[in-house]
Amino acid sequence: MTAFMAGIDVGGTNTDAVLLRGAEVEALVKVPTDPKDLLGSTALALEKVLEHYKEDQPLKLHLSTTLSTNLIVEGRGAPTQVVAVPGPGVNLKSLNFSFPIIELDGYIDHRGREAAPLNLDQVRGLKQVLGGTEGEALAIVGKFSQRNPGHEQRLRDEISQWYNGIITLGHRLSGRANFPRRIVTAYLNSRIARHQLDFLRVWREVQGSAVGEILILKADGGTMTLDACAERPIESILSGPAASIMGVKALTQCTEANYLIVDIGGTTTDLAAVVGGEVLFERDGATISGYRTLVPAILARSFGLGGDSRIRYEKSSGVIIGPERAGTPVCLGGEHLTPTDAAAALGLAQVGSAEAARQGWQAWGESLGIDGDALAKEVFQAFLRQLREAVEAFYAELENMPLYTIREVLDPPDLRPRAVVGLGAPAPVFVPALAESMNLSWEVVPYWAGANAIGAAAARATAGITLQADTQLGKVTVPEMGWRGEIQRPLFFDLGKARELAEEKTREHAGSLGYDASGEVYIVEEESFQMVRGFRTVGQTHLVRTQLRPEVFKVRGEAK
Amino acid sequence: MTEVGLVFFPAFDWAISPDHPERQERLLYTRDQIQEEGLFDHPAIREYRPRLASDEEILRTHVVLPSLETVTESHRIAAGGTIAAADLVLDGLAKRSFALLRPPGHHANRFVHGSRGFCTLNNEAIMVDHLRSRLGPDVKIAIVDTDAHHGDGTQDIFYNDPGVLHISLHQDGRTLYPGTGFITERGGPGAYGQTVNIPLPPGTGDEGMLLAMERVVLPILRDWQPDWIINAAGQDNHFSDPITNMGFSAQGYARLTEMLRPDIVVLEGGYSIESALPYINVGLLLALAGLDYSKVQEPHGRREPQPRAITDQVARICGEVAELWERRSEEDLGKVFGEAEFFERRRQIYYDTDNIYESQQEYIRLCRACPGWRAVYTQSTRVRQVAAAVLLPWKPCPSCRQEAEGQYRQLAAEGRFQQVVWQDPARGRESLKE
Ligand SMILES: [Zn+2]
Ligand SMILES: [Zn+2]
Repeated sequence: MTAFMAGIDVGGTNTDAVLLRGAEVEALVKVPTDPKDLLGSTALALEKVLEHYKEDQPLKLHLSTTLSTNLIVEGRGAPTQVVAVPGPGVNLKSLNFSFPIIELDGYIDHRGREAAPLNLDQVRGLKQVLGGTEGEALAIVGKFSQRNPGHEQRLRDEISQWYNGIITLGHRLSGRANFPRRIVTAYLNSRIARHQLDFLRVWREVQGSAVGEILILKADGGTMTLDACAERPIESILSGPAASIMGVKALTQCTEANYLIVDIGGTTTDLAAVVGGEVLFERDGATISGYRTLVPAILARSFGLGGDSRIRYEKSSGVIIGPERAGTPVCLGGEHLTPTDAAAALGLAQVGSAEAARQGWQAWGESLGIDGDALAKEVFQAFLRQLREAVEAFYAELENMPLYTIREVLDPPDLRPRAVVGLGAPAPVFVPALAESMNLSWEVVPYWAGANAIGAAAARATAGITLQADTQLGKVTVPEMGWRGEIQRPLFFDLGKARELAEEKTREHAGSLGYDASGEVYIVEEESFQMVRGFRTVGQTHLVRTQLRPEVFKVRGEAK
Repeated sequence: MTEVGLVFFPAFDWAISPDHPERQERLLYTRDQIQEEGLFDHPAIREYRPRLASDEEILRTHVVLPSLETVTESHRIAAGGTIAAADLVLDGLAKRSFALLRPPGHHANRFVHGSRGFCTLNNEAIMVDHLRSRLGPDVKIAIVDTDAHHGDGTQDIFYNDPGVLHISLHQDGRTLYPGTGFITERGGPGAYGQTVNIPLPPGTGDEGMLLAMERVVLPILRDWQPDWIINAAGQDNHFSDPITNMGFSAQGYARLTEMLRPDIVVLEGGYSIESALPYINVGLLLALAGLDYSKVQEPHGRREPQPRAITDQVARICGEVAELWERRSEEDLGKVFGEAEFFERRRQIYYDTDNIYESQQEYIRLCRACPGWRAVYTQSTRVRQVAAAVLLPWKPCPSCRQEAEGQYRQLAAEGRFQQVVWQDPARGRESLKE
């Protein structure tokens, strides 16, 4: 029996939904998003797509929502406090966090050793400062807690005896080193958790009727269960761009190892890069609304250039497009000329009334003393120019990523694209011209206007861990699992052994999250150093970062 | 423009030998600490890539024997990374920059037969000459070397160069490698007094280092008015360093950086890789960026307060150095360097890292119009046949240029040298062919 799948991507303007029957697209629907009633918009899209579903079997649903993103952007959520164990170092007060932080004594050093213990009197005193009602939330974060979560765990054990709100521990969210980002990530996670739970409760109720299992899309392009999402709602931020990129991965025929993904929307264009067949990730984590987090995320850059962007004309510099949105294009009955109108008037796209667009350019051209057609052409060229500049800046940023080995400096990784793969409604108009101006081949994926929903449906569970082993101390830590264990035979614990253990732990972690743990465990990053003290090797330190790599689910369709 | 441009290059795949202090692990914990403190990510700090130094950039400063092939890629990247750090400031991308990289360079002399004190190429010196190649020979550059070891290589390269002021604060040479850096070493005839050595007694801590900064280093800098201040930031004067006997701390280092306000900082030595480097570098970066470093502290071990006797001793040395600086223009150079046409210097140089001995003979043309051209003859246990070099200063007078050219042609025609090198920093190696 062929499996059916539904995918929904709630975007800022539209909510897209898809019904897949195996690799075939059965139905693709689009409804406007009501920002005041996300749940309503999502339900409407689901209802429309379910009209095409005639089977008895409950349907699996993948959901990419903007709920957590909106909560953060709008500054909403539970009243949240942060308890930190910073030890010596950068003064937290100088980092100007937008929320207060209670600092406790204690210090874990870079090797995960306790350099200073917690002060239990101080911990008991927290009862007077923290609330602890169910509606409140707390983040507990220690420096180097990814190397030894002991202090965070101990604090949780003490505080949870009398604290009833939601508690997030920093080390559970990421194995990466970056204390300020860990604080922000845990803080946001705690802040949005309650609202996310309310939202998830609704979906749990939906679950079981026509809809079977529901999975939530993450910023890294993977999915997670409702339970996992309840614990780590922060991972569901920025799933929109991730859905589009997963859509490209599902739909593209491109066989190049390196290509550029261009997602052109009405207001913005998003860029992402595929290198060696893999989508590039953010080095540390996602940035959202000025918050720098450790949330694993696809590296995507967004800029204000789209089909509905505002156009200005200046005598000195000519046409300038964006970054703000003008509104509905003239060809669709709007008031302001947009890049879409240029495409319509020039016959490059069949959108609305080409005649209305042409008249618009004529009128504006007259007032400037330019031929209307020439003005539309200039707008089209300006759009391409600005797009190309953004692409150049994007790759320049990628190519400034630091290199720490001689091997890399002598032979830097080749990131440059060989092809451009586009999606989004205006993609067929602009992507071919962009690629040609860069001397690259191109493709506009099938279902380019709804590929994001397809991406949500095609996404698979991802899980990764960071394993840090220190054979001199005889300790091995996997922070994402809150686990710190002993190395039984430190002398024999080489990088190979660390990899084996990392793979085992990755599957265990995925299994505990309720995921299919049978996929390939891929090593994202690894490091191994001999530790020498006084001209004698005393141990080794290994770091292995893994990712469970699911097979890319391919969806069929006609490419443009 | 960001506050601090950071060129971090830990060379995670390079070691002099597996258990050598200059090994892969050296900057690992520093990387961990900077990363965990979020400083790679701080809006005031931006990280940039290093690059390879070109042949031209290296040979503007050094004479490498028998040839550049003896220089490994790691050294080219450390030198190129330091140049990249300088260019960040020069190109207006950063207000200050920090070349936090290895291997170090300040023991590398102008003539390079191998590696000394873990150094093959002098990163700072190559960078200083790069600055002058971009800004012209009139730019005034001060180097303040705060490594626990005397910055003998940098001193050697600039000791007859009036465009550079070289100040080295270090543990007294009678108690530590390389055994030089006494206050009597004051520079060559073309730049007498611009080599300033401040030898500090073993056990000198924050109090002594900062006292020397206040009493000597800053006043000299105010007096000389450099356009650029470079800090050769060795971190082996830390109380936990295994190969020195000083008592400096991360707080002291940060305070020193704040006082000095260097344009470019270059890492030199420092081998307390777990207990010192992570904290010194965090403090240094914060201070360089003008951020709060008050909470930076080593979590393991405490610094002993500096004994009174040492403070007195440091104060006395500072007094002597200050007096020499004051008197520098009144010295009778004829008495110091003689009245002959040339000043001759003979030296034996030991390359501890590679176990090479070099013997060198140098002749400096005593000239009133310029620092004078130089002829140098050198041979070593590695390059047994004598090599000769004719060196021009950045701003030679016409008659020195002419004499030097004649000397070069004559030496080249003799054919008895392993090679004859022509070094003309202002016009480049090809200037003779023009
Ligand atoms: Zn040193
Ligand atoms: Zn002269």
